[in-house]
This record gives sequence, structure tokens and C-alpha cells, in this order.
Amino acid sequence: MKNNGFVRVADLHKDFLMGETRVQALSGVSLEIEQGSFTVVMGPSGSGKSTLLYLIGGLDWPTSGSIHVDGEEIEKMDENSLAGYRSSKVGFVFQSFNLVSSMPAEENVSFPLRFAGIAPAERKTRSQNLLEQVGLSDRATHKPTELSGGQQQRVAIARALINNPLLILADEPTGNLDSNSGLAIMQLLSDLHKSGKTIIVVTHDSRIKQFSTNTIFLLDGKTVSEQTYRQATELMSQP
Amino acid sequence: MRFFDLVSLIFYNLSRRKGRVLLTAVGVVIGTAAVVVLVSLAVGLRENATRQLWGINDLTSIEVYPGYSMEKMASSSSVMVGGGGGPDSIKYLTPTAIKEIAAIPGVKRVITQDYLNANLDLVYGKLHAYGGVIGVDVTDLADMGLTAAEGTTELARGTAVIGSWITRNFYDPKARPDDPPLEPPQLMGQSVKFVLIKWTQDGVEIKKTMTVKIAGVLAETRGSADGNIYMRLDEVTAWNEWSRGARINRNKEGYAMLIVKAEDPDVVIEVADKINELGFMANTPQSYLQGINSFFLVLQIIFGGVGAIALLVAAIGIANTMAMAILERTREIGLMKAVGATNKDVLSIFLGEAAGIGFIGGLGGVIFGWGGSAVLNLVALSYFASQASANGGLPPTMAASTPFWLPIFALAFATVVGLLSGLYPALRAATLVPVTALKYE
Repeated sequence: MKNNGFVRVADLHKDFLMGETRVQALSGVSLEIEQGSFTVVMGPSGSGKSTLLYLIGGLDWPTSGSIHVDGEEIEKMDENSLAGYRSSKVGFVFQSFNLVSSMPAEENVSFPLRFAGIAPAERKTRSQNLLEQVGLSDRATHKPTELSGGQQQRVAIARALINNPLLILADEPTGNLDSNSGLAIMQLLSDLHKSGKTIIVVTHDSRIKQFSTNTIFLLDGKTVSEQTYRQATELMSQP
Repeated sequence: MRFFDLVSLIFYNLSRRKGRVLLTAVGVVIGTAAVVVLVSLAVGLRENATRQLWGINDLTSIEVYPGYSMEKMASSSSVMVGGGGGPDSIKYLTPTAIKEIAAIPGVKRVITQDYLNANLDLVYGKLHAYGGVIGVDVTDLADMGLTAAEGTTELARGTAVIGSWITRNFYDPKARPDDPPLEPPQLMGQSVKFVLIKWTQDGVEIKKTMTVKIAGVLAETRGSADGNIYMRLDEVTAWNEWSRGARINRNKEGYAMLIVKAEDPDVVIEVADKINELGFMANTPQSYLQGINSFFLVLQIIFGGVGAIALLVAAIGIANTMAMAILERTREIGLMKAVGATNKDVLSIFLGEAAGIGFIGGLGGVIFGWGGSAVLNLVALSYFASQASANGGLPPTMAASTPFWLPIFALAFATVVGLLSGLYPALRAATLVPVTALKYE
């Protein structure tokens, strides 16, 4: 069943202190993302798109505004509740994979389950299934250094899925990959979307738009129309 | 997070950085080994001291001497020429006083004693000896807790029971310097001449010779009894009266010393306190032991403190290692939080790692400390044994003694030191904002 407003962001502000200077990363962002959608958040560097993603993922607190995910008002949660939220409802995929270099792929995938109190046997079964799903069942015992960038990102996606979250948040998932590997990763995320997951991908790679159901454009911490975004990016790309 | 998962993750993380963990743990090994060796040494010294104590063979005995009141002595010295206190300032052990002492609850028996106050020369054949004679009003020395190595402990008229070292006092006055060392005579059952000597006011020497049969030789007590010759009190009193040329008035002069036997070792201190309150001077084996124990407890604390300083230095090493680990693993901390770890999980992991380093170091320290104590014993005992055989006397039975609680304590202490060292770095790790940690370069 579709849930309109599965992610609801209202008048979101986020300021950072850079030394003594206050920098506004987000200035009154409001948006709604429905359940089961594939949303791409586009914007140039410094537009606030990663900040928006981390705030929706409960990795940081906004300066003001509200964030509702699946009916929960996460900006009011304390650190323990946020940990529970991140564990049960969200799966993260990072640009730099963030795998534990000393752990084999299987253990990297099951890493979140250690904090969820899942028994080792159950962890092994779940991670093996997911590695199979991402096409890496034969790489289960390989450490990240023994895997290609694309394979590492697949392991990271399997890890994001291990707790069977409703929401997958991907921050520049193709940023560190060659175009073929990047395309394969986007295809994998698209498959997840088709299986019912809600996916938000932050990127400045316009090719990803082809997989999305809706696109949000960010400029200087504000949502803008596609037209405004195009004009601004064209201006920025002029010598 | 389940406890098993926490422990396995801690060991996994420690095993990822074996070299650094082991180098950091070396500091803890040295500190813990120092604590174990030094405290073992202090405990060993105490045990040696208590084992070699003189006269502590009966924990129910209280030695009571006449009381000397400093207050009375001070006031009497102000009126007496030359000062020093007079008879009024002394509380004598008279028969009345003895009754008072015997009436104290917990007192089982009071034994009166007196010393022979005359010059005594013991003569056995051509050999001579010196020795202190004590008269006691018991018919059997077993009542004083003494046992016989040879013969009897019973005292009959004309007999004496001698301490185990008395025979060593005999010498040949006509021996030449190059004569071989004298073998101690076998006196059991033999008659020995007791020659009492006194001088008149004109300087004329008067001797009185009695023949005394040695009825028993006491087993070694490693106490004052080893050097005593025990006889009946009435005989010693008669000799003292001959020596001074006047009768002794016990009601006025009392006895030189009492042995008060308590019903139970537990009431000894209490009884001794009451005797002291009556104005006499009471000494108990417990008070000697308490004094010795207090001294060695201080020594243990000082020695343990020296070791603890080494451990403190190691603690700084652990804190440094943990701080470095947190810097290196900041992104990993961010990841842990992103995938659902709570602040408590992160705190537990890093505290556990710090405690783990303390534990590993502590375990090594306990093993090395134990080994070090054993080596110390081996070296010191062989040295002391050679010293004892060259100079006479008894060698110590141990140099260092490791009580069973010490390794457990040292291991727990090292672990706690590790835990405390990791507290600040772990708190820093636990309170990192996830997004900041994930973006850390």
C-alpha cells in the first residue's frame, strides 16, 4: 500500500559553524516523498543534498524544521531512539563504501545485525542470502581490498538491506565507480525499488534520473524547479 | 547488543592490531609484575618476621610486669633528691594484686614467676656456663604451654628443667684458642652444680653450691624459654633471700612477673587492657603481632604503590593507544552508528578494548611477577642460607611470598586501570555525531 508523505520534510534548516562563520547548508527545505518511490536529489557540490540525506537518515539533527519518516518525527528523537530508527528503518549506501577493511564481505554485510542482537547463525544465513542477491555469493570470504569498487559497493548495498529497511539512502553511490560499475549499481538500486523499497539517491550524475520516479533539485540549500536548476548549472559550467 | 557479540567484537578489534596492543600491554606487564613482586616481597618479609618472633608460642599468654606510673613518678621526683621515683610510684604484683587480676573475666590462671637475683655459675665437670634461673609456682611446665624434648616438664625439689639452648652456653675456661669447638654436653639426667656467689660489704666473696638434677630439656620454642632454667619458685625465693640476706615480703615487694593465661586467644587483648587499667604493664603476643603487621602493611602499601606508579605510566600508554585508535577508526565509529549502534554500544566496545589491553598486560604481569618472585626466593634463600651457615643462626624460610589473592587482585587492578585509561577516549568515541564521524578524513 502506497503511503503518501512517507518522508515529509517541512521548513528544514541546517546551519554549520565553520570557525566563527555560520554557514547555512539548508534554508527552509520542504518536500514529500511517497513510499515505494525512487527519488533522486540532484544538486552541485555544496548545495546541501548530502546534508538533507543525513538528516532524513537520522545521522544529524536539524537546526529547525521537522522530518517525519513513516509517521515518526525523527528530529525530536534522542540518540538511543535514533539508533533504533537507523537500525530498523534505514539502510545507508555511501560513496566511499565504508566497509570494515579487516572483515570479509560476509561479516561486513552482517555487521549491523551485531547491534540488533541477532544470533551468529541467523546473521550468517541472512548475509549469504543477500550476497547471493547482489551477485557476490562467491566473494563471501573476500576482504574489501580483494574486491573491485563495484563489488565493494554491492557489499555495501547488501549491508544496507540486512535489516530489511523500508528506506534506502544512497549518498553518491556511483561517485567512486567507473561508468559500467556505476550503471550496474544503479540497476541494482532500481531492482530494489521495483521490489518495493523506497529509495533516495543523492547525486550530481544526471544519468541516474532515468531510474527515478521523481527528482528534487537543490541549489544553495533550497529546493528549486528543474528549469532554475538547469539555468544555474549552465551558468556555473560557463568559463 | 548481546554480551557475547560485544566480547567477540572486542577480541576481534584487539586482534586486528596485535603489534600495537602487545607493545602497549608490555607497559602493563611491567607494572603488574612490579606490583606482584614487590607486594610478594613485603608479604614474605612479614611472614619471616612473624615466624622468627621470640616467645610467641602461646597466644593465650599475657606477660604482666609491675606498673610504673609516670604521673606518680613525676610528682615524687619533685620532692626526692636525685629524682627517679620511689616505691610509691610502682604498682607491685602483690598477692592482693594477683587476686584482682585473677578476678578479671576471661582469666583462666595466674602463674607467678621470679628471677634469681644472684650471680650464678653452672658447673658440669670441667665445664662452666651462665644462665638465667626463673622460679615458677607450677609443678608442671606443661601448664605454661611448654613441652619436653627430653625427660619431663614436671618440677620437683632439687631439679631443674632447662631450655633447649642452655647446653650451648657451656665453655671450658681452660680451653686454648686452637682447641676444637666444644660439643654441647648432654645434661639430661645429669647433676649440675649451681654455684651462687655474693659479696659482703667488706668485699669478701661468699659461695653457696647446690647440686641440681636436670630432669628435662625443653623442646625448642624459638622464644625466651630456650635460654631459661626453670625451677620451683620456693627454691629460687630461698636463694634470693640468701643472696640479699633478708626475707622477701611478697605483700610489699610482690613478684617480678606474672604469666596470665586467658581462657581464649580472642579475649587476650581485652584482658590485657583491663590489667593495664589496673596500673600494671601487660604485654601480649597479639600486640607484638599487631605492631609487626601494621609495619608490614605500610611496607606492602609503599611497595605496592611503587608498582602502581609503573602501572600508572602504562595507563597513559593505554590512553594514548586508545586515543590513536579512535582517531584512526572515526569513520568506522560513524559507520557503527549509521547501522544502529547506540552510544552505549560504542562506549562498551572501546572501554572493553582498553580493559582488554589491561587484562592481557595484567595476565602477563602476573605470570612474570610470579616467576620473578620464585627466582627471587631461589637466589635470596641460597644467599641467606650461606650467610646463616657462616655466621650461625636460622636462615629465613622465604624471601617473597605470593598470597593467593595477589594475582587475582593484580589482574583485576590492571584490568580496571586499563578500563579507566580508556574512559575518556571511549566517551569521546561514543558521543561523536555520526555524520561528523562519517565525514572524518
